[in-house]
Amino acid sequence: MKQLFSLLLATTTLLFGRPLLGAPIELGASVQLTGQFANTGRYYGDAYQFAIDKINAAGGVKIGNTREKLVLKMLDNQSDVNLSVRQYVQLVSQDKVNFLLGPFASDFVLADSAIAEKYSIPMIQGGGASDQIFSRGYKYIFGTLPAASDYFQSTLDLTGQLKPPPKTIALLYADDAFDVSVADGTRKAIGKTSMKIAVDQRYSSKASDFNSMLSLIKSQDVDAILVAGHETEILNFIRQSKTLNVNPKLYAFTVGVPSADFRNALGQDANYAFGMTSWVPSPAFKDDYVGNAEQFATEYQKRFGYEPDYHAASAVAVVEAFVKAIEAANSVDPAKLRDAIARVDFDSLYGRIRFNAVGQISLPQTVVQVQKGKLVPVFGPKGVMEKALYPMPAWGKR
Amino acid sequence: MQLLWQILINGVLLGGLYALMALGLVLVWGVLNIVNLAHGALIMLGAYACYYLFTVFGLDPFGALPVAMAVLFCLGYLIQRYVLNLVIRAPMFNTLLITFGLEVVITFLAQMIFSADFRTVNPSYAGANFLWLGATVPLVRLLAFGVALGLTFALWLFLDHTAIGRAIRATAQNLTAARLYGVNPRQLYALTFGIGAALAGAAGTLYGVVSQINPYIGSGLTGKSFAIAIIGGLDKSIYVLVGGLFLGIVEALTALYIGPTYTDVISFGILVLVLIVRPTGLLGRTA
Amino acid sequence: MKLASTLALSVVVVGVLATVPWWGSAVLVQFGINALILATLAQSWNIIGGYTGYPSFGNSVFYGLGGYGVAVGMVQFQLPFATGLALGVFLAVLFAFLLGLPVLRLRGHYFAIATLGLAEVMTAIVSNLEIAGRNIGLILPLVKGDTLFFELSLALLVITTLTVAWISRSRFGFGLIAIRENEEAAAVMGVNTTLYKILAFALCSIFAAIAGGIHAYWITYLDPTSAFDITLNIKMIIMAVFGGPGTIFGPVLGAFVLSAISEVLATKVTSLASIFFGLVIVAAIVFMPRGFTDLIRRFRQQGWRYFQANIEANRV
Repeated sequence: MKQLFSLLLATTTLLFGRPLLGAPIELGASVQLTGQFANTGRYYGDAYQFAIDKINAAGGVKIGNTREKLVLKMLDNQSDVNLSVRQYVQLVSQDKVNFLLGPFASDFVLADSAIAEKYSIPMIQGGGASDQIFSRGYKYIFGTLPAASDYFQSTLDLTGQLKPPPKTIALLYADDAFDVSVADGTRKAIGKTSMKIAVDQRYSSKASDFNSMLSLIKSQDVDAILVAGHETEILNFIRQSKTLNVNPKLYAFTVGVPSADFRNALGQDANYAFGMTSWVPSPAFKDDYVGNAEQFATEYQKRFGYEPDYHAASAVAVVEAFVKAIEAANSVDPAKLRDAIARVDFDSLYGRIRFNAVGQISLPQTVVQVQKGKLVPVFGPKGVMEKALYPMPAWGKR
Repeated sequence: MQLLWQILINGVLLGGLYALMALGLVLVWGVLNIVNLAHGALIMLGAYACYYLFTVFGLDPFGALPVAMAVLFCLGYLIQRYVLNLVIRAPMFNTLLITFGLEVVITFLAQMIFSADFRTVNPSYAGANFLWLGATVPLVRLLAFGVALGLTFALWLFLDHTAIGRAIRATAQNLTAARLYGVNPRQLYALTFGIGAALAGAAGTLYGVVSQINPYIGSGLTGKSFAIAIIGGLDKSIYVLVGGLFLGIVEALTALYIGPTYTDVISFGILVLVLIVRPTGLLGRTA
Repeated sequence: MKLASTLALSVVVVGVLATVPWWGSAVLVQFGINALILATLAQSWNIIGGYTGYPSFGNSVFYGLGGYGVAVGMVQFQLPFATGLALGVFLAVLFAFLLGLPVLRLRGHYFAIATLGLAEVMTAIVSNLEIAGRNIGLILPLVKGDTLFFELSLALLVITTLTVAWISRSRFGFGLIAIRENEEAAAVMGVNTTLYKILAFALCSIFAAIAGGIHAYWITYLDPTSAFDITLNIKMIIMAVFGGPGTIFGPVLGAFVLSAISEVLATKVTSLASIFFGLVIVAAIVFMPRGFTDLIRRFRQQGWRYFQANIEANRV
């Protein structure tokens, strides 16, 4: 009997190239473990491993009458988009993984998702939010980061409640896919408020010098500044706003603020900055495999030596979404799984996981602020959470 | 008008930092005929040296400056003595390629040793600034400008008025004749490259205070340094001040009046134009 | 005699390569496409760098223009792939003529720096062009079937190599070599150096552009940084130099060998792959600056002393 079963297994493997039954489920990923995006890329590498270990420890994935373990095959794309594309092809056609976990950053996801679509293998990614990813009519790509164009919505809702309300606003954004999406959406959203856009500037992704933009903003005496960019740029921006003595009433950033080493690098200068996160490590987010989000944060920090942020939580959600979909479909057939993923709806440490018609999740952003060195959630989907410190005192008066 | 004045101040101060960055490159290029594509990587190492001196030993960046310079000097000396000296009489193009290879190796090692996390050097006076004639002047940038002037002057003194400096220039002009006078070219070349690396280290130290440090800042800085070197001219080290100031001001004006995404178009466009129209630089002798 | 045997061997090799998509794994085909495109680029650089002696860092511009020709043509104007390729080639050749003229007056490393500057300028300009998708780039239509790309790349490499072979035996080629060895003397002897240099530049632009177009369509994605990638330019130079500049098969050999090693590293010891090229460059320039083909030829006579001799010749 055992021999017959092994023969059957061998035959299916031979015929279909990947095991259909009775073998570990392989998840393939190409992540920025080295190179200039490694700083955030490592959140994904570590979180994928964390999630898979937790799920395996709980017994694995239930298919039919058996439980299968998950196996991670992760490659380092050295922050090179072309290499990541080739690696995904390798994972699909040579390593014959069952499904794909996405990389970090919208431009990587844009290119890599084409491979998932080409080979009809589902990819869930937690690293790309740009609208372009989901506007191509692809069926095999799903994302756990909320739409880029909505990123600043909750921040704008907050400004509507501040006194005295900011009247003029500056919008600065880097010229990559994600940040341009953010800016386009934000511009529309600002149009629905009573604020006037005084400065609307697009800058090069590699820029390190914001002096001209800051001088312009200062000369116009702008009340609020919104910056959509990368952590390194935002770091430079804040430091240079100090040296040029630019004192808006409020400034808010798409990334950086939630991450601990960003705040450490700035020290006291990080205070009063607003940021956003689609996730907070609150015990209210309960999870089938980790307890809740607060426990996740503690365990993650213990294991890897740094605090997780929404990137890590988003990556865990990716793995859990696959597991839930496999269990719902009771199969690892790619086409069946694709449909099952489209229908998942469950609660996790990251929040409620559910994909819309184009494959993107919809999660509200919580506005956070750095107050006396601590990250404080000030405004969430249900309104004010803690008091926001506004207006920001001038640099000389802190 | 106020804004324009502020932009000009920004540009001049940026220019000072730029000049400091390009100084080491100009020395090595003008004197040794080595086009060092790893120059930016050396600046990056200087920045890390300052970072560790600051965070581990609490040394103020301006105090760390000479230490970082000394460390980079040793590194540069070793690189020239045991690697670059082996190819220096080959066609110039070979040194271009080999320094590119060194850049890749140095960047990789930096990432392995220091990790990809970005760092900043944040002394208490990092954000200090004062008002001058209506413009806000960041203190650290002004000091960097001063350091640039000082080092350029010091370099000129060294090359023109010391025995070693004259020996370096003689070797650069005529290797055989210099040998006849008892000069040891291997050591001299290594010395010169070491000085170039030390200057890069100085630039890196200050760069870490005004911007942020990670292993990948090298290649962008190399590109900028090239533009500055060419625009100013390679004949005399003082020309680098002109090149730096020119580029700094042009970039600041471009960012404001044309758009921040056009600064590279302008910087490298001017580089190409200068090469085509006046290869010896704005100030150099016409060939 | 040597010509006939070389020709026969080449035909056999090409024939075998052409069948790879049918028996090779998907990864092998993918690797093959990459290696073939790199070999074409190295070979195209060979024309201006190896034969004419003008070390150009601007070939990545032609590569990028080819890619953008295809991308803009197919995405913005719904043109077929072949028309996109033609557009890319047209742009590249135009660039070669317009900018080649002033830039080719420079010598040695000034020429290299100027072309490096041009590559940076083009990246910056294209990242500001709305029609090219600015810095976000363009997504090309998805097409399944690597076999097509493999055969196209192989055909391109064959044509490029044949062109180089023709150059090596033609009057045009002798003129280029004369320019490389001593440009003043060549001019005095009646070689129209300006014309020859521009033609060489234009020739390599054609092949680099087609390579860029094929690559863009295959990867289905293009943005300014990857299109005008300076590292790619360095890679093609290293491959040509490693293999043997100024020879017919040197660049192809260099490209295949280095690609293979790099690919193996990227899949097995990924972090070593990034340092690999750096170490290869340093070692190659020190120990075998005249390339692999020269190494093979002289190793027979000199043995291990070959490496020593190279260092002795070039050190201070």
